[in-house]
Amino acid sequence: MTYLTFGRTQCRVLWRRKQDTVNALLFFVMVVALFPLGINPSAAFLAPAAGGIIWCAAVLAILMAIDGIFKEDFRDGTLEQWVVCGLSLPVLMLIKVAIHWFAVVFPLLLVMPLVSEMLMLPSGSFWVLVATVLAGTPCLFLLGAIGAALTVSLKQGATLVILVILPFYLPVIIFATSAIEASQVGLPYIGFVAMLLAVSLLSLVVSPFMTAVAVKASVN
Amino acid sequence: MLFSASLDVSNVWIERSDRDLCRDLSFTLRAGEVLRVLGDNGAGKSSLLKVVAGAMTPLEGRIMFNGQDVTSHRALLQQSMVYIGHGAGLKSMLTIEENLLSYCPATSPEQMQSVLDILDLANHQETYVKALSAGQSRRVALARLWLSQCPLWLLDEPFASLDVSGVAVVESKIQQHINEGGMVLLTTHQALSSVVTRDLVLS
Repeated sequence: MTYLTFGRTQCRVLWRRKQDTVNALLFFVMVVALFPLGINPSAAFLAPAAGGIIWCAAVLAILMAIDGIFKEDFRDGTLEQWVVCGLSLPVLMLIKVAIHWFAVVFPLLLVMPLVSEMLMLPSGSFWVLVATVLAGTPCLFLLGAIGAALTVSLKQGATLVILVILPFYLPVIIFATSAIEASQVGLPYIGFVAMLLAVSLLSLVVSPFMTAVAVKASVN
Repeated sequence: MLFSASLDVSNVWIERSDRDLCRDLSFTLRAGEVLRVLGDNGAGKSSLLKVVAGAMTPLEGRIMFNGQDVTSHRALLQQSMVYIGHGAGLKSMLTIEENLLSYCPATSPEQMQSVLDILDLANHQETYVKALSAGQSRRVALARLWLSQCPLWLLDEPFASLDVSGVAVVESKIQQHINEGGMVLLTTHQALSSVVTRDLVLS
């Protein structure tokens, strides 16, 4: 096994199991679409809340996608093979999370113009929204992978993943929505985006090692 | 290919769920040897293989491979071994060929075809693993033995789900491997008809 074949295999498996990605996307669109219907469809309410609604929906969709990231690998014995293959397990974890991040976030970005219009997000804030998604979601995936690896051997691990991981997601949601709000009222937002980027970079350094430790413990 | 390697496991202490599986276990495996690990269910046979492979960490003990201590630097050993555990390690959404290439990317199409011929899977190259029976999946997992060039094989119940012809094919491959100087550490409840083994009994 090489890092390249590992990455290629992960891409193939994800491509052939598209329903996971599609489910996350559908969930995201449905949550965003139901908000105006359930609360208030007026532009006066939706425009200021749009960033928060989109980010909450994105976090829930990501939580849904991240829960099963290692489940199949644990069941079919490939997780064990990664541990003993002689390659660096943190690097393998990083590759896997990066591929999943792209597979889930890229479709979300594609529908972002549509949902932004639906929620009447001012056009000036759209690119700030995109920037927060690009800067903040890597952190969500990297932290989520730790929770998923910790609970992979448990039958009812999904609830535990949410309980373990959600508190760590809160700062990301706060920084992201603050950046969008700031852009809507004409205040500087770069600081918030920079904080998101910093949190993601910190996760990038720490998370692969912690995920690898959690995977080893689960295989044990 | 001729191998020359050795594996020394000394004073290994394995514990699982606060239960001692084995304590002060020592054994040596030399080139051209098959060591069959025997014991009751739950005696720790699979755990022993996992410890050697590096999937589990022993509480105490030392593992030497080719004279080098690999207890805490298992990558050196892992690059020279094939470990086939209880799980087949195959992705159900991939074809047989894609699965095998993910483990052995340097395999040529001719080599792949000849191995699948040997394992009676010649017409299944493009078949998805999810469509295979348990025995066929086991054969695919074991195909890595033909495609890799590693001196040490760690096989956990390799004959599980195999039919008589499958067992014979794998046994002959094990014999060929030890003739070339390879080493095999395996767990099985089945007596090997054509391979001379040394037994290690876990109680």
